[in-house]
Amino acid sequence: MHAVVMEDLEGYLSGTLEPAVQRDIEAHLHACSACREEVNGMREISQLFDSLRPVETPDQSWDPSPGFYAGVLRQIDAQSSKPATNSLFGWNLAFGRRLVFASLLTLAVLGGYLATHEPESQGMPSPEAILAQQESPSFDAVPAHDNMLVTLTAYEQR
Amino acid sequence: MGTMSGALPLSGFGSRVAAKSKVEYENTPEGALVRRAQAGEEPAFREIVERYQSKVFSIIHGIVRQRNDVEDIAQQVFAKVYLSLKSFDFRSSLITWIYKITVNECFDYLRKRKVRKLVYESDLSEDEVRRVENSEPNVDRQAPVDTTLARRDYMVKLLSRVSEEERMLLVLKEVEGYSVEELAEQTGMNENTIKVKLFRARQKLVKAAQRLERAPGLVAG
Repeated sequence: MHAVVMEDLEGYLSGTLEPAVQRDIEAHLHACSACREEVNGMREISQLFDSLRPVETPDQSWDPSPGFYAGVLRQIDAQSSKPATNSLFGWNLAFGRRLVFASLLTLAVLGGYLATHEPESQGMPSPEAILAQQESPSFDAVPAHDNMLVTLTAYEQR
Repeated sequence: MGTMSGALPLSGFGSRVAAKSKVEYENTPEGALVRRAQAGEEPAFREIVERYQSKVFSIIHGIVRQRNDVEDIAQQVFAKVYLSLKSFDFRSSLITWIYKITVNECFDYLRKRKVRKLVYESDLSEDEVRRVENSEPNVDRQAPVDTTLARRDYMVKLLSRVSEEERMLLVLKEVEGYSVEELAEQTGMNENTIKVKLFRARQKLVKAAQRLERAPGLVAG
Protein backbone atom coordinates (compact mmCIF):
# COMPACT_ATOMS: atom_id res chain seq x y z
CA MET A 1 0.00 0.00 0.00
CA HIS A 2 1.34 3.43 -0.91
CA ALA A 3 2.30 5.88 1.79
CA VAL A 4 -0.30 8.45 0.73
CA VAL A 5 -3.01 5.98 1.79
CA MET A 6 -1.21 4.25 4.63
CA GLU A 7 -0.49 7.47 6.49
CA ASP A 8 -4.17 8.33 6.87
CA LEU A 9 -5.68 4.86 6.56
CA GLU A 10 -7.31 4.88 10.01
CA GLY A 11 -8.90 8.26 9.44
CA TYR A 12 -10.08 7.16 6.00
CA LEU A 13 -11.67 3.96 7.32
CA SER A 14 -13.40 5.80 10.13
CA GLY A 15 -14.48 8.68 7.86
CA THR A 16 -12.86 11.35 10.00
CA LEU A 17 -10.46 12.92 7.53
CA GLU A 18 -10.42 16.52 6.42
CA PRO A 19 -12.20 16.81 3.06
CA ALA A 20 -9.00 17.77 1.20
CA VAL A 21 -7.11 14.75 2.55
CA GLN A 22 -10.07 12.49 1.81
CA ARG A 23 -10.11 13.72 -1.80
CA ASP A 24 -6.37 13.07 -2.20
CA ILE A 25 -6.73 9.53 -0.99
CA GLU A 26 -9.75 8.84 -3.14
CA ALA A 27 -7.92 10.22 -6.18
CA HIS A 28 -5.07 7.83 -5.49
CA LEU A 29 -7.41 4.88 -4.96
CA HIS A 30 -9.11 5.67 -8.24
CA ALA A 31 -5.78 5.42 -10.03
CA CYS A 32 -4.12 2.59 -8.07
CA SER A 33 -5.88 -0.77 -8.26
CA ALA A 34 -3.57 -2.45 -5.76
CA CYS A 35 -4.27 0.11 -3.04
CA ARG A 36 -7.95 0.14 -3.96
CA GLU A 37 -8.26 -3.62 -3.60
CA GLU A 38 -6.40 -3.66 -0.29
CA VAL A 39 -8.42 -0.80 1.17
CA ASN A 40 -11.69 -2.37 0.05
CA GLY A 41 -10.75 -5.61 1.81
CA MET A 42 -9.92 -3.73 4.98
CA ARG A 43 -13.11 -1.69 4.81
CA GLU A 44 -15.29 -4.79 4.45
CA ILE A 45 -13.73 -6.31 7.55
CA SER A 46 -13.96 -3.01 9.41
CA GLN A 47 -17.72 -3.06 8.92
CA LEU A 48 -17.94 -6.51 10.48
CA PHE A 49 -16.73 -5.19 13.82
CA ASP A 50 -20.32 -4.07 14.42
CA SER A 51 -21.04 -7.67 15.30
CA LEU A 52 -18.84 -7.34 18.39
CA ARG A 53 -20.71 -4.36 19.82
CA PRO A 54 -23.12 -5.18 22.62
CA VAL A 55 -26.74 -4.77 21.67
CA GLU A 56 -28.06 -2.04 23.95
CA THR A 57 -31.71 -2.31 24.87
CA PRO A 58 -33.66 0.12 27.08
CA ASP A 59 -33.96 -2.42 29.88
CA GLN A 60 -30.37 -3.60 29.50
CA SER A 61 -28.65 -3.57 32.85
CA TRP A 62 -25.01 -4.39 33.29
CA ASP A 63 -25.24 -4.46 37.07
CA PRO A 64 -23.79 -7.61 38.55
CA SER A 65 -25.73 -10.04 40.69
CA PRO A 66 -25.33 -9.69 44.49
CA GLY A 67 -22.83 -12.53 44.76
CA PHE A 68 -20.59 -11.34 41.94
CA TYR A 69 -17.68 -10.07 44.04
CA ALA A 70 -17.76 -13.20 46.21
CA GLY A 71 -17.52 -15.17 42.98
CA VAL A 72 -14.43 -13.17 41.99
CA LEU A 73 -12.78 -14.06 45.31
CA ARG A 74 -13.65 -17.74 44.78
CA GLN A 75 -12.07 -17.60 41.33
CA ILE A 76 -8.95 -16.04 42.81
CA ASP A 77 -8.72 -18.86 45.36
CA ALA A 78 -9.29 -21.46 42.67
CA GLN A 79 -6.67 -19.99 40.33
CA SER A 80 -4.18 -19.44 43.13
CA SER A 81 -4.32 -23.04 44.25
CA LYS A 82 -4.03 -24.54 40.76
CA PRO A 83 -0.80 -26.57 40.57
CA ALA A 84 0.38 -25.10 37.32
CA THR A 85 3.38 -26.89 35.87
CA ASN A 86 4.93 -23.56 35.05
CA SER A 87 4.93 -22.65 38.71
CA LEU A 88 7.21 -25.59 39.47
CA PHE A 89 10.53 -24.05 40.45
CA GLY A 90 9.15 -20.76 39.16
CA TRP A 91 9.81 -21.79 35.59
CA ASN A 92 7.80 -20.68 32.64
CA LEU A 93 7.62 -22.44 29.32
CA ALA A 94 10.04 -20.11 27.58
CA PHE A 95 12.65 -20.53 30.29
CA GLY A 96 12.18 -24.32 30.20
CA ARG A 97 12.76 -24.39 26.44
CA ARG A 98 15.91 -22.32 26.79
CA LEU A 99 17.18 -24.58 29.56
CA VAL A 100 16.64 -27.71 27.46
CA PHE A 101 18.39 -26.10 24.50
CA ALA A 102 21.33 -25.00 26.64
CA SER A 103 21.64 -28.51 28.14
CA LEU A 104 21.63 -30.15 24.71
CA LEU A 105 24.21 -27.69 23.44
CA THR A 106 26.45 -28.37 26.45
CA LEU A 107 26.15 -32.12 25.92
CA ALA A 108 26.96 -31.76 22.23
CA VAL A 109 30.06 -29.65 22.94
CA LEU A 110 31.22 -31.98 25.71
CA GLY A 111 30.63 -35.03 23.57
CA GLY A 112 32.56 -33.51 20.71
CA TYR A 113 35.44 -32.65 22.99
CA LEU A 114 35.58 -36.14 24.46
CA ALA A 115 35.41 -37.74 21.02
CA THR A 116 38.37 -35.74 19.74
CA HIS A 117 40.47 -35.87 22.91
CA GLU A 118 40.58 -39.53 23.91
CA PRO A 119 42.47 -39.80 27.23
CA GLU A 120 45.64 -41.80 27.09
CA SER A 121 45.67 -45.04 29.00
CA GLN A 122 47.53 -44.97 32.23
CA GLY A 123 50.21 -47.47 32.80
CA MET A 124 49.71 -49.09 29.36
CA PRO A 125 52.49 -48.88 26.82
CA SER A 126 51.65 -47.65 23.33
CA PRO A 127 51.48 -50.17 20.44
CA GLU A 128 54.82 -48.83 19.18
CA ALA A 129 56.45 -49.50 22.51
CA ILE A 130 55.01 -53.01 22.59
CA LEU A 131 56.25 -53.84 19.07
CA ALA A 132 59.64 -52.32 19.85
CA GLN A 133 60.11 -55.06 22.44
CA GLN A 134 61.08 -57.41 19.65
CA GLU A 135 64.28 -55.37 19.25
CA SER A 136 65.21 -56.21 22.81
CA PRO A 137 67.84 -58.93 23.37
CA SER A 138 65.51 -60.87 25.64
CA PHE A 139 62.72 -60.97 23.07
CA ASP A 140 63.45 -64.44 21.83
CA ALA A 141 62.41 -65.89 25.16
CA VAL A 142 59.01 -67.54 24.98
CA PRO A 143 57.65 -65.66 27.98
CA ALA A 144 58.56 -62.42 26.19
CA HIS A 145 56.42 -63.49 23.20
CA ASP A 146 53.54 -64.46 25.49
CA ASN A 147 53.81 -61.24 27.44
CA MET A 148 53.78 -59.20 24.24
CA LEU A 149 50.64 -60.98 22.99
CA VAL A 150 48.90 -60.51 26.35
CA THR A 151 49.87 -56.85 26.39
CA LEU A 152 48.63 -56.29 22.82
CA THR A 153 45.37 -58.14 23.55
CA ALA A 154 44.78 -56.15 26.71
CA TYR A 155 45.49 -52.95 24.77
CA GLU A 156 42.92 -53.90 22.09
CA GLN A 157 40.29 -54.74 24.68
CA ARG A 158 40.77 -51.41 26.48
CA MET B 1 -12.49 13.31 22.59
CA GLY B 2 -9.27 13.79 24.53
CA THR B 3 -7.66 16.98 25.78
CA MET B 4 -4.12 18.08 26.44
CA SER B 5 -4.89 18.37 30.14
CA GLY B 6 -4.92 14.61 30.19
CA ALA B 7 -8.46 13.91 31.28
CA LEU B 8 -10.12 11.71 28.70
CA PRO B 9 -13.92 11.85 28.74
CA LEU B 10 -14.23 8.36 27.32
CA SER B 11 -17.78 7.21 26.91
CA GLY B 12 -18.69 4.05 28.75
CA PHE B 13 -15.70 4.23 31.03
CA GLY B 14 -16.00 4.65 34.75
CA SER B 15 -13.16 7.07 35.25
CA ARG B 16 -11.35 9.86 33.59
CA VAL B 17 -7.79 8.76 33.31
CA ALA B 18 -4.73 10.78 32.52
CA ALA B 19 -2.44 8.49 30.59
CA LYS B 20 -0.09 10.86 28.82
CA SER B 21 2.93 9.44 30.61
CA LYS B 22 3.70 6.69 33.03
CA VAL B 23 4.73 9.11 35.78
CA GLU B 24 1.66 11.30 35.31
CA TYR B 25 -0.63 8.29 35.45
CA GLU B 26 0.99 6.93 38.58
CA ASN B 27 0.33 10.25 40.26
CA THR B 28 -3.37 10.28 39.48
CA PRO B 29 -6.02 9.10 41.98
CA GLU B 30 -6.45 5.93 39.94
CA GLY B 31 -2.70 5.38 39.93
CA ALA B 32 -2.76 5.61 43.72
CA LEU B 33 -5.67 3.17 43.82
CA VAL B 34 -3.75 0.67 41.71
CA ARG B 35 -0.69 1.05 43.95
CA ARG B 36 -2.82 0.26 46.99
CA ALA B 37 -4.30 -2.78 45.29
CA GLN B 38 -0.82 -3.92 44.26
CA ALA B 39 0.21 -3.65 47.90
CA GLY B 40 -2.56 -6.10 48.78
CA GLU B 41 -5.26 -3.75 50.03
CA GLU B 42 -8.48 -5.65 49.40
CA PRO B 43 -10.78 -2.60 49.55
CA ALA B 44 -8.69 -1.03 46.77
CA PHE B 45 -9.10 -4.11 44.58
CA ARG B 46 -12.83 -4.18 45.31
CA GLU B 47 -13.08 -0.56 44.22
CA ILE B 48 -11.37 -1.45 40.94
CA VAL B 49 -13.86 -4.26 40.40
CA GLU B 50 -16.85 -2.05 41.14
CA ARG B 51 -15.48 0.71 38.94
CA TYR B 52 -15.04 -1.44 35.84
CA GLN B 53 -17.43 -4.36 36.20
CA SER B 54 -20.16 -2.82 34.04
CA LYS B 55 -17.71 -2.06 31.28
CA VAL B 56 -16.28 -5.56 31.43
CA PHE B 57 -19.80 -7.04 31.23
CA SER B 58 -20.52 -4.90 28.21
CA ILE B 59 -17.35 -5.98 26.40
CA ILE B 60 -17.98 -9.65 27.15
CA HIS B 61 -21.56 -9.51 25.98
CA GLY B 62 -20.50 -7.85 22.76
CA ILE B 63 -18.14 -10.68 21.92
CA VAL B 64 -19.67 -13.74 23.54
CA ARG B 65 -23.39 -12.92 23.21
CA GLN B 66 -24.30 -15.42 25.92
CA ARG B 67 -25.87 -13.48 28.75
CA ASN B 68 -25.74 -16.48 31.09
CA ASP B 69 -21.98 -16.71 30.81
CA VAL B 70 -21.16 -13.01 31.09
CA GLU B 71 -20.77 -13.01 34.86
CA ASP B 72 -18.72 -16.21 34.91
CA ILE B 73 -16.30 -14.81 32.37
CA ALA B 74 -16.21 -11.45 34.18
CA GLN B 75 -15.28 -13.21 37.41
CA GLN B 76 -12.41 -14.93 35.62
CA VAL B 77 -11.33 -11.59 34.19
CA PHE B 78 -11.15 -9.92 37.58
CA ALA B 79 -9.45 -12.94 39.12
CA LYS B 80 -6.77 -12.60 36.42
CA VAL B 81 -6.58 -8.87 37.10
CA TYR B 82 -5.97 -9.58 40.78
CA LEU B 83 -3.38 -12.29 40.19
CA SER B 84 -1.40 -10.28 37.64
CA LEU B 85 -1.88 -6.79 39.07
CA LYS B 86 1.69 -6.70 40.36
CA SER B 87 2.91 -6.87 36.76
CA PHE B 88 0.89 -3.80 35.72
CA ASP B 89 3.52 -1.20 34.96
CA PHE B 90 1.42 1.96 34.38
CA ARG B 91 2.58 2.21 30.74
CA SER B 92 -1.05 1.94 29.68
CA SER B 93 -4.15 2.94 31.55
CA LEU B 94 -5.74 0.39 33.86
CA ILE B 95 -8.88 0.10 31.76
CA THR B 96 -6.85 -0.59 28.63
CA TRP B 97 -5.03 -3.34 30.48
CA ILE B 98 -8.29 -4.79 31.82
CA TYR B 99 -9.80 -4.50 28.34
CA LYS B 100 -7.01 -6.65 26.89
CA ILE B 101 -7.51 -9.29 29.58
CA THR B 102 -11.26 -9.25 28.94
CA VAL B 103 -10.94 -9.70 25.18
CA ASN B 104 -8.46 -12.56 25.67
CA GLU B 105 -10.74 -14.29 28.19
CA CYS B 106 -13.60 -14.04 25.71
CA PHE B 107 -11.53 -15.65 22.99
CA ASP B 108 -10.39 -18.39 25.36
CA TYR B 109 -13.99 -19.00 26.38
CA LEU B 110 -15.19 -19.27 22.79
CA ARG B 111 -12.36 -21.62 21.89
CA LYS B 112 -13.00 -23.88 24.89
CA ARG B 113 -16.74 -23.85 24.35
CA LYS B 114 -16.33 -25.08 20.80
CA VAL B 115 -14.09 -27.94 21.97
CA ARG B 116 -16.36 -28.79 24.93
CA LYS B 117 -19.41 -28.94 22.67
CA LEU B 118 -17.71 -31.40 20.38
CA VAL B 119 -16.42 -33.51 23.28
CA TYR B 120 -19.95 -33.71 24.68
CA GLU B 121 -21.47 -34.63 21.36
CA SER B 122 -18.92 -37.25 20.39
CA ASP B 123 -16.85 -39.96 22.02
CA LEU B 124 -13.63 -38.15 21.27
CA SER B 125 -11.22 -36.80 23.87
CA GLU B 126 -10.35 -33.11 23.93
CA ASP B 127 -7.06 -33.71 22.10
CA GLU B 128 -8.81 -35.72 19.42
CA VAL B 129 -11.45 -33.05 19.04
CA ARG B 130 -8.81 -30.38 18.57
CA ARG B 131 -7.19 -32.48 15.84
CA VAL B 132 -10.52 -33.00 14.13
CA GLU B 133 -11.39 -29.33 14.51
CA ASN B 134 -8.22 -28.26 12.78
CA SER B 135 -8.59 -30.68 9.90
CA GLU B 136 -12.30 -30.65 9.08
CA PRO B 137 -13.43 -28.03 6.59
CA ASN B 138 -16.46 -27.07 8.66
CA VAL B 139 -16.74 -28.42 12.17
CA ASP B 140 -19.71 -26.31 13.19
CA ARG B 141 -22.41 -28.06 11.22
CA GLN B 142 -25.16 -26.10 12.84
CA ALA B 143 -24.10 -22.57 11.90
CA PRO B 144 -26.14 -19.93 13.72
CA VAL B 145 -29.11 -18.74 11.75
CA ASP B 146 -28.83 -15.26 13.23
CA THR B 147 -26.74 -13.09 10.89
CA THR B 148 -25.15 -11.08 13.67
CA LEU B 149 -23.99 -14.25 15.41
CA ALA B 150 -22.63 -15.58 12.12
CA ARG B 151 -20.74 -12.33 11.56
CA ARG B 152 -19.54 -12.46 15.17
CA ASP B 153 -18.27 -16.01 14.71
CA TYR B 154 -16.52 -14.97 11.53
CA MET B 155 -14.85 -11.98 13.22
CA VAL B 156 -13.78 -14.15 16.15
CA LYS B 157 -12.15 -16.55 13.69
CA LEU B 158 -10.32 -13.70 11.95
CA LEU B 159 -9.27 -12.02 15.18
CA SER B 160 -7.80 -15.28 16.45
CA ARG B 161 -5.16 -14.86 13.71
CA VAL B 162 -3.67 -11.69 15.16
CA SER B 163 -1.68 -11.14 18.33
CA GLU B 164 -3.31 -10.19 21.62
CA GLU B 165 -1.99 -6.65 21.34
CA GLU B 166 -3.22 -6.24 17.77
CA ARG B 167 -6.60 -7.64 18.76
CA MET B 168 -6.90 -5.20 21.61
CA LEU B 169 -5.95 -2.24 19.39
CA LEU B 170 -8.41 -3.27 16.69
CA VAL B 171 -11.28 -3.77 19.10
CA LEU B 172 -10.57 -0.50 20.91
CA LYS B 173 -10.43 1.31 17.57
CA GLU B 174 -13.37 -0.33 15.84
CA VAL B 175 -15.74 -1.25 18.66
CA GLU B 176 -14.99 1.42 21.27
CA GLY B 177 -14.31 4.13 18.71
CA TYR B 178 -10.92 5.30 19.94
CA SER B 179 -8.94 7.54 17.64
CA VAL B 180 -5.26 6.87 16.98
CA GLU B 181 -4.38 9.74 19.31
CA GLU B 182 -6.48 8.28 22.10
CA LEU B 183 -5.02 4.84 21.58
CA ALA B 184 -1.55 6.34 21.88
CA GLU B 185 -2.52 8.06 25.12
CA GLN B 186 -4.16 4.96 26.56
CA THR B 187 -1.42 2.50 25.64
CA GLY B 188 1.68 4.60 26.07
CA MET B 189 2.79 3.88 22.47
CA ASN B 190 3.42 6.68 20.00
CA GLU B 191 0.96 7.39 17.20
CA ASN B 192 3.15 6.07 14.39
CA THR B 193 3.62 2.80 16.23
CA ILE B 194 -0.14 2.53 16.67
CA LYS B 195 -0.71 3.20 12.96
CA VAL B 196 1.84 0.58 11.92
CA LYS B 197 0.45 -2.03 14.30
CA LEU B 198 -3.11 -1.39 13.15
CA PHE B 199 -2.08 -1.54 9.50
CA ARG B 200 -0.28 -4.85 9.97
CA ALA B 201 -3.18 -6.26 11.95
CA ARG B 202 -5.64 -5.27 9.21
CA GLN B 203 -3.42 -6.89 6.60
CA LYS B 204 -3.45 -10.11 8.64
CA LEU B 205 -7.25 -9.99 8.88
CA VAL B 206 -7.56 -9.58 5.12
CA LYS B 207 -5.18 -12.50 4.51
CA ALA B 208 -7.08 -14.65 7.01
CA ALA B 209 -10.36 -13.79 5.29
CA GLN B 210 -8.90 -14.76 1.90
CA ARG B 211 -7.63 -18.08 3.30
CA LEU B 212 -11.00 -18.73 4.90
CA GLU B 213 -12.73 -18.24 1.58
CA ARG B 214 -10.36 -20.64 -0.12
CA ALA B 215 -10.39 -23.31 2.62
CA PRO B 216 -12.69 -22.74 5.59
CA GLY B 217 -10.98 -25.32 7.78
CA LEU B 218 -7.60 -23.62 7.60
CA VAL B 219 -8.49 -20.75 9.87
CA ALA B 220 -9.09 -22.37 13.23
CA GLY B 221 -11.30 -20.31 15.48
